[in-house]
Amino acid sequence: MQNETGLSILQVEGLNVFYETFQAVKEVTFNVKSGEIFGLLGPNGAGKTSTLSAVEGLLKPHSGEINVAGFNIREQPMHAKANMGVQLQSTSFQPELTITEIIKLYAGIYGVSLNNERLKAILQDIKLEESASKRFGQLSGGQQQRVSLVISTIHDPVLVMLDEPTTGLDPQSRRQLWERIEAIREKGHGVLLTTHSMEEAEAVCDRIAIIDHGKIIAINTPEALIDLHRNDPNVISASRKGKVTLEDVFIGLTGKTVRS
Amino acid sequence: MKTVIPKSKEAFLSLLQADLKTQWRNRRSVLMSLLVPLIILISWKGLIPVFGGAFVFSISLTIGLASIGLMGYAISVARDRDKGIFQRLRVTPMPSSFIMVSRLAVQLGMIALLTIAVFVIGYEVDKISLTPLGYILTFITAFLGGALYLGFGQMIVGLIKNSETVNSGTRLVYIAFIMLGMFGELSKNIQFKTIVHWSPFGTVKTILAAAMQPSSWNNNATFALLATIGYALIFSFFGIKWFRWNSAGA
Repeated sequence: MQNETGLSILQVEGLNVFYETFQAVKEVTFNVKSGEIFGLLGPNGAGKTSTLSAVEGLLKPHSGEINVAGFNIREQPMHAKANMGVQLQSTSFQPELTITEIIKLYAGIYGVSLNNERLKAILQDIKLEESASKRFGQLSGGQQQRVSLVISTIHDPVLVMLDEPTTGLDPQSRRQLWERIEAIREKGHGVLLTTHSMEEAEAVCDRIAIIDHGKIIAINTPEALIDLHRNDPNVISASRKGKVTLEDVFIGLTGKTVRS
Repeated sequence: MKTVIPKSKEAFLSLLQADLKTQWRNRRSVLMSLLVPLIILISWKGLIPVFGGAFVFSISLTIGLASIGLMGYAISVARDRDKGIFQRLRVTPMPSSFIMVSRLAVQLGMIALLTIAVFVIGYEVDKISLTPLGYILTFITAFLGGALYLGFGQMIVGLIKNSETVNSGTRLVYIAFIMLGMFGELSKNIQFKTIVHWSPFGTVKTILAAAMQPSSWNNNATFALLATIGYALIFSFFGIKWFRWNSAGA
């Protein structure tokens, strides 16, 4: 399905998430438009996954509004969830089920009718037609990610959320996954992804938000972020090869200290 | 763009089908749930003339029910929670309750399978047969007893987040139940016998034994029935209250 590009399909406003007394997300506001790949970057424990979990409806925020395709996640969770596709940080399907069975399971849950031809086409698309009867637990990391991505888009959602989708993949699998993510954008869907890879963010994201200590500290296109911060002393000090990169901007803004 | 909300029935049936396949592929654990009670049933053949068929039948079934609730249900829920399988299902447009209802439906099927297996082996090996009413009442009480152990399993996964700890903890509790079942009633110590009698093991065993011989149903069986329902409700209440969908506790 081709969507109209430029429409705001995810709106997050004033989001606050607490774990008991610890505030993991502080007044986070951003939006994702259709036909764009929006990257949420941050060091470990910055609040990326908490933000995503709140959008996915996995945790209840303390305050703030989240609307997916115009549906409020708290007031109309089923409508909001029907409009989103999710790939969680760790691939998580029953290891006893085969790929075919997993695809059929999620097609059934999303109410997508799946005949044998369509199923075959899906398996061919992810280059796993010969592994159709293999169990999920028997697949390589790259194959598991392909299955996970195809399931997150099986119902043709307007918003696709990917939590560190290329972690642990070899360069070939990573490039292939980038192409698939870009293909989702080409169809007019919006993509919200979190990543630790600056190379990935620079390569595929149209806009980026840098989150640290639960707050969004910068939001712009990768090029604009570099341009805006290239003269920042912290960014210059982080620069290693004379040329300022997105990684230098990221380290300049979030600090050199390693997070646990 | 029109939002399509999937039909609940279709979503639930897809989930149930997947859970049944998962259970079938874990045949070893299914076999273990059936094996221990059947071994007791066969090896205790010599005790039937002394204690009666209902005694051996009820102990065998109670141990099987404990195995389903603890070894089957609790361990699989803890493992799938640890793997993030529940979280993946929870981001879909389907009520979260479906996830547990489907799991419980599979376990109810296991209880039915266990009860039938005990009836068949009991008849073939030990020549124990019940009246039609006895069979029906035993089925009903087996489901009640099963609810108690499923609730108990739920409480364990609610209390303990780590799947390895759930695994070892439930095995320990299960072994304790087997010991109670095999030797508790034979003990000479009255106090110990009373504790065993009113324990979750003893009450289930009592109602099963009474259901097999409906004419012998008495006040003791009625109190055991109430205690079983009470245990099931309390365990389920705390099991649901303390349950977290991911092992990190969020």
